Amino acid sequence: MSNNQLEGKIALITGGRGGIGRGICERFSTEGATVYAADLAKGEGEMPSRVQYESLDVTSESNVHSLMAKIESEQGKLDIVVNTAAIEIEKTIEDTSLQEWNNIFSINVTGTFLVSKYAIPLLRKADGGSIVNFGSYDGFIADPGLSAYCATKGAIHALTKAMACDYGPEGIRVNAICPGYIDTPMLQSFFGESGDIESLKEEVRNIHPIRRYGTPKDIAGLVAWLSGSEAGYATGQLWVLDGGLSAQAQQMRL
Amino acid sequence: MKNNENKVALVTGGAKGIGRAVVERFREEGMTVLACGRSARPADLDKAIDWHCVDVANLEAVEALRDAIKKKYDQLDVLVNNAGIQIEKTVLDSTDEDWDLLMGVNAKGVFYCCRSFMPLMIANGGGSIINIGSISARAADPEMALYNASKAFVHGLTRSIAVDHGKQGIRCNAICPGWILTGLADAAFELASDPVAAKKDALARHYIGRFGQPRDVANMALWLASDDASYATGQMFTVDGGLTAASPVNPGLF
Repeated sequence: MSNNQLEGKIALITGGRGGIGRGICERFSTEGATVYAADLAKGEGEMPSRVQYESLDVTSESNVHSLMAKIESEQGKLDIVVNTAAIEIEKTIEDTSLQEWNNIFSINVTGTFLVSKYAIPLLRKADGGSIVNFGSYDGFIADPGLSAYCATKGAIHALTKAMACDYGPEGIRVNAICPGYIDTPMLQSFFGESGDIESLKEEVRNIHPIRRYGTPKDIAGLVAWLSGSEAGYATGQLWVLDGGLSAQAQQMRL
Repeated sequence: MKNNENKVALVTGGAKGIGRAVVERFREEGMTVLACGRSARPADLDKAIDWHCVDVANLEAVEALRDAIKKKYDQLDVLVNNAGIQIEKTVLDSTDEDWDLLMGVNAKGVFYCCRSFMPLMIANGGGSIINIGSISARAADPEMALYNASKAFVHGLTRSIAVDHGKQGIRCNAICPGWILTGLADAAFELASDPVAAKKDALARHYIGRFGQPRDVANMALWLASDDASYATGQMFTVDGGLTAASPVNPGLF
């Protein structure tokens, strides 16, 4: 497909300096969008062209509110919101403290709620807006020791459908991408100290029908499609992107 | 990986409706496009389209088409299994002839095409198979028993091909269109006691405020055919304007 599919579009990407967020910012930049990459910290590395860093704590209502005010004064509208900001806690529920539980929900779920809530008035000012949330493969099928994370992603799936129903009549489309195993710092953390990391990675690759795990670039390709006019009829859906992992039944080691 | 301009694609059921839109969309992207159908070449078809008169339920005809593609192009990158028919009957009303006709095209035809064309795709490093599934495979449309079942077959076959042939570079996905305005949808409305009221009610259940167009499905097919989708496999991607995101119990419509 030709470049510049998002020419003239104004986009806000939360978690824009994280693994997947960076991939989306790069892709949006080549597609001609003006991008606000919002995150807790700017981190290392250069920003792609037309990508502007904004400090944002998605759990803070006042913080979200002032960022929207800034975008409104600079652009007068917002075409695209991508709610990427999320954390993972690798624990069972017994080991998860109430504070940890509330923390992951406030970032993964409340953050998506707050950013979407205050973005809607700006999306109305665009000619048809798009929100892309981040659900997960884990919202359908659990990974062991990841209970709170799985629960937040299930919540995002339901929220996505509800928002699609409520705002579809105003031309605002809402979808969620559900990544499988994507090569990011979060995945490295999930692999953790599990013995021989290279043989573990090889095994994970081989479980995938497509024989590799995903990259932020793979995710960015779908975000770009869902955010553009080609996807004008796509709304309320959960888009699983996992290299065929969830198409395959669990394999017994016989 | 190849750019779209270097790809050779085959679309079954390419004379009208969704298939025709896919043919035209692929052609706009510069692909070499072959299309087939049971009828003679449509008079208004772009001269650049390589048309073949083929009934996908006829193995000899499918294999002859394969031989022709091998001889002329020695390459096939994208296969869109779109040919499909619909019979509006319950199980009790369905005859053996209905079964043979519908399952011949919707199930056996997809199997024949996948089996016949996949070796050519694999020989060139792989490719993308795009099947047309349906939202009716997940929740049944009344009085469409064999059609619903045939689409569930398509979903199962899609996952199997993704799982079995992913390591050979084959990606296989299905698109599940909602109500797309084609001859099939009009035929369904005509069955209603009050077709005008039925259409109004159906429209209200599409949260995006319109019915789908064949081009909406073609846009999704183009994305799945492209290298942007290189991690997408084994999935059923629904494009339905929000229809299946919502509960059918909608008090606003009563």
